[in-house]
Amino acid sequence: MRVVIMGCGRVGSTLAARLEHEGNSITVIDTDPYSFRRLPSDFQGETLVGSGYDESVLEAAGVQEADAFFALTQGDNRNLLGSQIAKHIFGVKVVVARVSDPFRGEIFANLGLRTFSPTNIGAQMAYDALIREQ
Amino acid sequence: MYIIVVGAGTVGYGLGLELQALADHEVVLVDRDRSRAGALREELGEMVVHGDGTEVVFLESVGARRADMLIAVTGDDGANLVSCQVAKHWFKVGRTIARVNNPRNERLFRELGIDSTVSATGAIMAQIEFDLPEHTFIPLMKLHGSGLQLVDLHVIAGSEAEGAAVRSLRLPENSIISLVVHEGGAPEVPNGDTVLRAGDEIIAVIPQEAEPEFRRLVAGATVTG
Repeated sequence: MRVVIMGCGRVGSTLAARLEHEGNSITVIDTDPYSFRRLPSDFQGETLVGSGYDESVLEAAGVQEADAFFALTQGDNRNLLGSQIAKHIFGVKVVVARVSDPFRGEIFANLGLRTFSPTNIGAQMAYDALIREQ
Repeated sequence: MYIIVVGAGTVGYGLGLELQALADHEVVLVDRDRSRAGALREELGEMVVHGDGTEVVFLESVGARRADMLIAVTGDDGANLVSCQVAKHWFKVGRTIARVNNPRNERLFRELGIDSTVSATGAIMAQIEFDLPEHTFIPLMKLHGSGLQLVDLHVIAGSEAEGAAVRSLRLPENSIISLVVHEGGAPEVPNGDTVLRAGDEIIAVIPQEAEPEFRRLVAGATVTG
């Protein structure tokens, strides 16, 4: 699979390393070139400096041929803009956006985007851990 | 009418001032920068509220449910898009207007149902095009909801339209030439027999996607912009 990942923070770099390890072709976009240090030293995929919510940057990243696009920066609105460009302008089949605000995530899920909320997931795991301890 | 303006930068501040002067409207100007909102509140009063205009809970608190219009004019296209989408789909706000900072995003915003988009780049380009002889095509305005636009262009010598009667032109589907201004300034509502001359100015309504075809027909191959 060809996968484009926007945002090379902890989540983005971890996903990039894992998908590449499984034999996929990965392009990672981040505005800060220093963030690429988080990728494993043997990472073979491409890195691109720029805004993943800019149509021309996404084009340069080859999103038009991608099977999947992940918007994983810490900015909800950036992620929602980037993922909607990937989905509606470039027609990428699988588009996933990280949206911290659970309400916003729900609204955009209703509009047909795949979203996940680190807030909800984190709170749930913390809660589960407590239940297990009791 | 109840209007929410998101983003109190230069554009939002100016809008706030203008709208406040219209007595019939209730206006709220929101900005997520606390000190910016605080400073403006000193000047404009209670209409300025500190908060994130892309957040559902905050928009609810300023009464988005009863808003007639939301105008998102921050310098961040992501924020403007999300704010308008949340307003439209969650709060059922009747009319949403977004500022588009990157002109390439205009198409996406339209496809996603934002009612109007305003791009400074586009507006300035339209102004420049009035003065550039090689730019003979000026998009005047987009018609609300229909995908049609009003355009202004000049008939170029050597184009298919030059010397042709309006009825013999193969116009793109759903296109209408509404007005012809002949050289010298005489306006005419054209009928099928009206003959177009080089230098005539045409006001037409055309579908946005028919723009290249219409340009080719009337302005010939000399247009590059």
